[in-house]
This record gives sequence, structure tokens and C-alpha cells, in this order.
Amino acid sequence: MDTRKLNRRQAVALLGGAAALGAAGPAFGQAEPAKPAQLVVNHSGGSMGTAMRKAFFNGFEKKYGIKVVETSPVDFGKLRAMVDSGNVEWDLTEIGGQDAIRAGKANLLDKVDPKVVDRSKYPATAQNPFVFASSVYTTIIGYRTDVFKGGTQPKSWADWWDVKKFPGARSMRNHPTDNLEFALIADGVPKDKLYPIDFDRAFKKLDQIKPHVTVWWSTGQQPAQLLLDKEVVLATGWNGRFYDIIKKGAPVEIEWNEGALKQGSFAIPRGAKSPYWANKMLAELAIPQQQAVYASELGYPGLNLESLNFVDAKVKPYLPTNYLDKQFWISDEWYAENGTKAAELWNAWMLKKA
Amino acid sequence: MAARGGSAELLIEGVGKRFGDVVALDHVSLSVAQGELLTILGPSGSGKTTLLKVVAGFETPDGGTVKVGGTDISALPPARRDIGMVFQNYALFPHLSVKANVAFPLEMRNVAKPETERRVAEALAMVELAGYEARLPKQLSGGQQQRVALARAIVFNPRLLLLDEPFGALDRKLRETMQLEVRRLQRRLGLTTIFITHDQEEALVLSDRIAVMNKGTIQQIATTTEIYERPANDFVADFVGESNIFHGTMSAPGAVTLDGGRTLVVRSDRQAGAKVGVLMRPERFASGGTNQFAGEVIESVYLGTSFKLRLACEGGLELLVRQPARGALPAAGAKVAVGIDPEAIHVF
Amino acid sequence: MFSSRSGFWPALPALILLLVFFLFPVVRMLGFSVEAGTLDWYAKALGEGLYLRVLWNTFEIALLVTLFCLLLGYPLGFLMATTTPFWATMGFIFVLLPLWTSVLVRTYAWMVLLGRNGVFNRMLMEAGITSDPIPLLHNFTGVLIGMVHVLLPYMVLPIYGAVRKVDPAIPAAAAGLGASNWRIFWRVWMPLTLNGVFAGCVLVFVLSLGFYITPALLGGGRVIMIAVLIEQQVREALNWPFAAALSAVLLAATFAVYTLAQRFTQPETAR
Repeated sequence: MDTRKLNRRQAVALLGGAAALGAAGPAFGQAEPAKPAQLVVNHSGGSMGTAMRKAFFNGFEKKYGIKVVETSPVDFGKLRAMVDSGNVEWDLTEIGGQDAIRAGKANLLDKVDPKVVDRSKYPATAQNPFVFASSVYTTIIGYRTDVFKGGTQPKSWADWWDVKKFPGARSMRNHPTDNLEFALIADGVPKDKLYPIDFDRAFKKLDQIKPHVTVWWSTGQQPAQLLLDKEVVLATGWNGRFYDIIKKGAPVEIEWNEGALKQGSFAIPRGAKSPYWANKMLAELAIPQQQAVYASELGYPGLNLESLNFVDAKVKPYLPTNYLDKQFWISDEWYAENGTKAAELWNAWMLKKA
Repeated sequence: MAARGGSAELLIEGVGKRFGDVVALDHVSLSVAQGELLTILGPSGSGKTTLLKVVAGFETPDGGTVKVGGTDISALPPARRDIGMVFQNYALFPHLSVKANVAFPLEMRNVAKPETERRVAEALAMVELAGYEARLPKQLSGGQQQRVALARAIVFNPRLLLLDEPFGALDRKLRETMQLEVRRLQRRLGLTTIFITHDQEEALVLSDRIAVMNKGTIQQIATTTEIYERPANDFVADFVGESNIFHGTMSAPGAVTLDGGRTLVVRSDRQAGAKVGVLMRPERFASGGTNQFAGEVIESVYLGTSFKLRLACEGGLELLVRQPARGALPAAGAKVAVGIDPEAIHVF
Repeated sequence: MFSSRSGFWPALPALILLLVFFLFPVVRMLGFSVEAGTLDWYAKALGEGLYLRVLWNTFEIALLVTLFCLLLGYPLGFLMATTTPFWATMGFIFVLLPLWTSVLVRTYAWMVLLGRNGVFNRMLMEAGITSDPIPLLHNFTGVLIGMVHVLLPYMVLPIYGAVRKVDPAIPAAAAGLGASNWRIFWRVWMPLTLNGVFAGCVLVFVLSLGFYITPALLGGGRVIMIAVLIEQQVREALNWPFAAALSAVLLAATFAVYTLAQRFTQPETAR
């Protein structure tokens, strides 16, 4: 009995070893850098961390025997300070869209290694040499189904602005990104002609909606909570946060039309201790099956569009990649150049009485 | 002080106060005549401070009344009692100048400014602090602070003056000066005054009458000489002055047989068979006298004007004796004989 | 002379700590703000209406928060210092409890209590006091309530300490000398506890200036404090020189207010 058990275990170990050898196959020709004891991945934490561990980190640890150490939060200032001082703690970090563009230009990042990370299945918007697009999220309309019954919800930004036809308290993000675009679309600008943003036109349109916005939210969980508490009946928010409460049975639904798409990004800080293994981790993040696991948890699918084939049919309607055509992409490039100006104008507009 | 006559007599009747299981005041009654200085003398915990607080209004008694000038003030808050009080640590307002401190009670009574100025100046002159108006309390010596407290307590012509162990923090010399000064001031103003102390010497110096308190009750209330010469019980005899106290039985009219067997000739009309206490003050012994004691010196102290001797006498009696300092101080072991007349022995 | 010099050495570790962890960063920050060799960032901070308005708003909020903390904190600290040990302990637990929970948790708790369908409004509506919910959240009121709650301990503790330090015979003496409770408070308690009041006010005021989570969450986004703008410059715009200039302006304004307050609350001297 005992000997047989031992034998079986040995057999499993052998098989695992063979699989690892096979996985390392393509890089076999070059000398592979030594394995570090650990790989530090910095991300936003919370439920995202849990999902990443389930979808990616556990598999990575098993495959390579490298411990994945997670830190949070995401902090661009800290990234800059680390790279400037040459004391880079992170091997890989999540990074905001426009920050990623600027970080790439400011020489704060290492390029993604195309020999390790296969991005051939990714859309053209997700091919930045410094930035790996790990997932897609969108700012869309969440609404109370007990207030807007049977498809009577606002279905466009023009509807959102129509407070007579769609009455009720609203919540929007306390940030120029998304809102400037929404205002322009509501004012009749086509989705592909948004950039460069016409500030005057956007803010003039925003003036109209300002009195009807009860809460300008500043953290991601606020809009979902506000809908749950019925503080507001309409809220813009990130799809995953709405998905989370819908999963739990909240009387809330999502209107996907004219949503503002953004990509969640990861990048390798310049001077990271194990850049090769950070690339290996990115390769892990690119596996469609694993992306499907992640998407089912949070509602944030990966940009390997094949991943849609691996999700449950019940989950699919809650993934923004299912509605790419109805939505538009936020231009990280434009914000990288104009974000500061937009923020200043936004603050000034917020302070304006009435 | 221009307007006199604020001062009134005080009548305390049946005042009681308990703190949980502790009886602080047990139906205390006493009266203080107008212009009189009554000292309440007792050890700490005797209830004297509680009694003072009841009079001042800081403590509500469980029963009994406090009357000033015939009016029951038991229900009045402290602010409306018109009683001047000097606290143990003076309780001067540290943030106010000497002048503002003394003017405080007048300010509270909305006295007009020129009148205030005049009375403050008068009060400060009375305590010999003219010229110190602008100082803060912390810039004054202990004695000066005491004077400010006194000036503040009398400036508004209070009906009573209460002094709560006011000399405790002063050194001996200053204390004696202040005692005399307070006495002089009190006489001059004719202020009805209650003075609290645990120091029997101080009580004898200052008082018209003394009330000796212990365990919440008044043991004896009498003039200073009476308290000293004819104490009512062991406690008073022991607490006030130095004493030799013995117990015995009246064996015949004018004779007491002490518990140790020795018989003394006394002046007393107590009946034969009565249990009595006997007090002999150490300074009342002389070389001769009706009652003679022969003893051996156990301890001797030189006190300048006198010798203080502790004698072991026959029959196991131990006596404390004071003798005028003349000649050499008797050494321990020396044989000494002393005597005392019946008139000098107090039987109670 | 000798004693004052020997008194210096025990304080040395604290001084070094201050030097390393306070003075050095401040100097470094000031350095950032003039990195380019010009005062351009200061000109922007003081020249553009936005930043001055937000700075002014920030001071206004800090002042109001300080005022409400004082109004609530003085009676509370006073009661705690004068009541029985049991109630004093209870008071301490309730006052200090907020310090042991995270700002975020406390802020969300207020959101649950103050919302349109929150506990307060439901109680008021069920009691028939109002028919429509009162807007307590997502406005200035919400920010005030939240900040006062968070900062109250910083007011209560110094006042408690100051009250405890007063010899109880002093107010008793005032009462005996004819002062009503009202006058005892203003003529005796107030001046004698002014140090504690001043310390509490300075603490609350200065801490208020740096708040941004609570105002952002409870103010519905409408209440903007200078810390939010500084944070935006540090984290979003990555414009550290400007962030440093804004911080320096805030620091200078804070010092100015502190000096002014100290001048006004100087304990009254001989009169």
C-alpha cells in the first residue's frame, strides 16, 4: 500500500517536471535568467487582487516555483520615486491608462518583450510597446430596475441629459475623463470625432446636468453603493462594480450603449529586479483561458478576444468586450497630453456656483 | 471699611452629613456670636472641614439648618451666602492680578468702579500690600499670597469669615506673624469668624472659643482657658496641650484612687465610687505640693526656658513634667521628686 | 546657564528626529518648488483664482470644523474631567473609539446613517417630522458632521487635560465670592483652560487642512479642499514642483493663522 502511494506521487512529480520543461521549451535556446525567490506584483488590491491570484498567480507559482508577492495600491508618484531613486521594489505594476503613456515617454518603463509575450491576437489599440493591456473596463450607465422598468432606462447620453423624460437623482464621476466625452456625445458629437476635446462645448453641456447630479463620486465602489442605497437611481460607473452587485441580486442593470472603454494596464518599471520573469507573468496574463477565469470573477475581460469563448454564457452579457461596437475608446494619448489642463478646468467648473 | 455691620452671628443646628457609611457630621450644633472668633480644632477626618463646607454652601447637609443673623441660609448656593473664605492653598485666581483678585467679589456684586477702586485699595492697605496691585499671584511669596486671599475675603463686608487651615503652608515664624495679624484684623473689623485648624497651639493663640471635634461630633466647646484647664474628656485633654491622664475611682470626697493603686488628693465634688479621669499638666508640678511623687528620670530634654522630664514613679506611674531650667539638666537615671497641689489637678 | 545647557541633551534624540523627519522633508519640498530657479509655480498657485479659492474654502471648512469641535468638545472634556471615574472612563472609550477605526470605515458609517434612505432620515420620516428626506449627505453638512466626528478627540483630550489641571478650590472660591455659574465659567474656567482650548483648536484646525477622503466621500464631490488638488498634482499630473509650491503656500498660511490665533489667545496678564 505504502509503496504504491509513493510511486504514484513520484509519477506525478515526474509528469509535472516534464510539463515545466515543455513550457520552457521556446526559450530554451537562450540562457534563461536565474529564477528569483519571488516576483513582486503591485496592483489595486481588494477583489481585483483576489481574482488575479485565482486566475493567474496561483498558476504562475505552480508553473515556475516563484512566489508571487502582491502589494498595493497603484501609485504613479511612488513609481516615479522608485525609478528615480533606483530602488525599484516592484517587478510589475498595474498602471492607469494615461499614466502608462506618460510613464513610457518619461522613460520610467521597460518595454514588453515580444519574444516572451504574444500579443498577436490583441486589437491595434492594445499594442503599446511599454504597456500590456491586461483587461478592459468601461464607464457605463447603471440604473435601478425598480424605477426604470421594462427597458425604460436612458439608452444614450442624450437620454441621460434629458431629465424630464428620465427624472431622478444621478451620480457621475468627479473627474473630467468620461464626463467630457459623455457631454459631447449628448451634444451630438459623433463617437469617433471626440478628440481633441472641445472644452467649451463640453463644459457648457455639463452645466445643464450639474444641478441633477446629487453625488460626484470619487471612489469606484461609490456608484454601486449609491444605487443600492437608492441615494440615486442613475449612476455612471465601472462595469465590474455593477456586475458585482447584480451577481448578488441587486435590482440594478447596465446600459452598455455609448460606454467609455479603457484598458487596465500592467507595465514593468525600469530597473525592476527580474524583468524577464515579469514578462513571463505578462505572458501568463495573456492566456485566454485564464483571462476567462478573471473575467467571470470581476466582469473585466482580457483583451485577448479569444477569451470570450471560454466564459460561461451567463457571464458573457456582462462583459464589455461583448459590446465593443456600441462603445468608444477613451484616448489615453490625448489625456497624457491634456490631462492636467482638463483637471484644472474640471476643478474650476466644480467650484462654480450653481 | 466704611459700611460695617455686615457681620452677623452664626447658628448651626443639628447638622448631619454622611458619605456612604462614613458619618462625617453627627448632629452638630454650635453658635458663634457676632464678632467672635471660634476655632474648630480637630485631627484630620474629624469632620471640621465638612462642617466648614456646609457653612460655606459647598456641601449640602443631610439634615439640620445653618442660620446667619437669624436667616436660614441652608438652601442658598455659595454665591448668595455672602461668606468670605480663605482656602488652605488660598485658591487665588492665578490669571488675575492682585488687584483683580481682590476686586473679584465686588465685580460679582456689580459695585461701581470708583467704589471698587477705593475698597480694594483699603483692603490691600489693611493687609499691607499697597503697591502690589499689578503683580500676579505667582510673583508673590506665600505670606503675601495669604494676605491677598484675606483681603479678597473681607473686601465685600462678608457676614462671616471662614479660614480653612490658612497657615499650614507657611514657615513657623511667618505663621506666628500672620496669626497675630489675622487676629488683629478680625478684632478691628468685628468679623464673625470660624477658623479651622488641627494645630492646638494655633487654636489657643487665636481663639475666643474653641470647639474640639472628633469623629463628627463636637467634644467640647469652651473658652481657651477652659479647654486647656478643664477639658471635658480624654480626647480633649490629650489633644490640647501636653498632659498626664490617668483613670481611677473617687475613693472619698476629695480623693481619687488611680487604677494603679495610688491615691491623690484632689478638689472635686464627684461622689465616692464615681469613675473619673484625672489630668495633671506637666508645668503644674513643683518641688513641693500635697501629692508627692518620687521617680527616676527616663528621658530628659532641654528646652531653653524649661526642662522636660519623663519620670518613672512608684506604682508604675509615668509622668511628664516640666521644670524651670535652673542648674544642670537631670541625667537619665537621676532620682527626682516632684509634687502637685489638689487645685492643679483636673478631675473629669 | 549651566542648567539650561544640560537640559538640552535629553531633548537631542527628539530634535534629531524632528530634523530628519520634519525639517528635512520640508526643506526638500521647498527645494522642489523652486527647482526651475523661478517662482513661476508660486505665481500660478497665487495667481490663478482656482487655487486661492480652494485654499480659502479649505480654511473656511477647517475653521468651521474647529468651531463645532470646540462647541461639542469643551462641554464633553469638561464633564469627563469633573465627573466620577466611571463616567470619565466611559467618556474616554466613546471619544477614543473613533481613533481606533479607519477613517474610511467611519466615513462609510456616516453614509449609512445620513443618506436619503439612511437611518436618520427614516427615523425622522417615520416619526412624521419630515415628509421628504433632509439632505444631510453629499453636501457641506455631511462634510462637517464627518470631519467633526473624526477630529473631536483631538479637541476633547487637551481640554480634558487643562480642566484636570485646575485646582478645584479656585472655581469654588469664585462661587464663594459671589460668582454665578455663568461668570465662574467665563472669568475662571475659560481663562484657566485657554491653553487646552488653544492646543485643541490648533490640532483640529491643522489636521482639518489636510483632509480629503472625508470631504470627497461625504461632500458628494462638491467640497474641494486644497489637499485634493495637491494630491492631484502629485499623483495624476506628476507636477511635483507645483505640488510643492501649493504645499508651501498652505504651510505659510497655516503658520500665519497659528501666529494670529496665539496673539489673540495670549493669557490675560496683569490688568
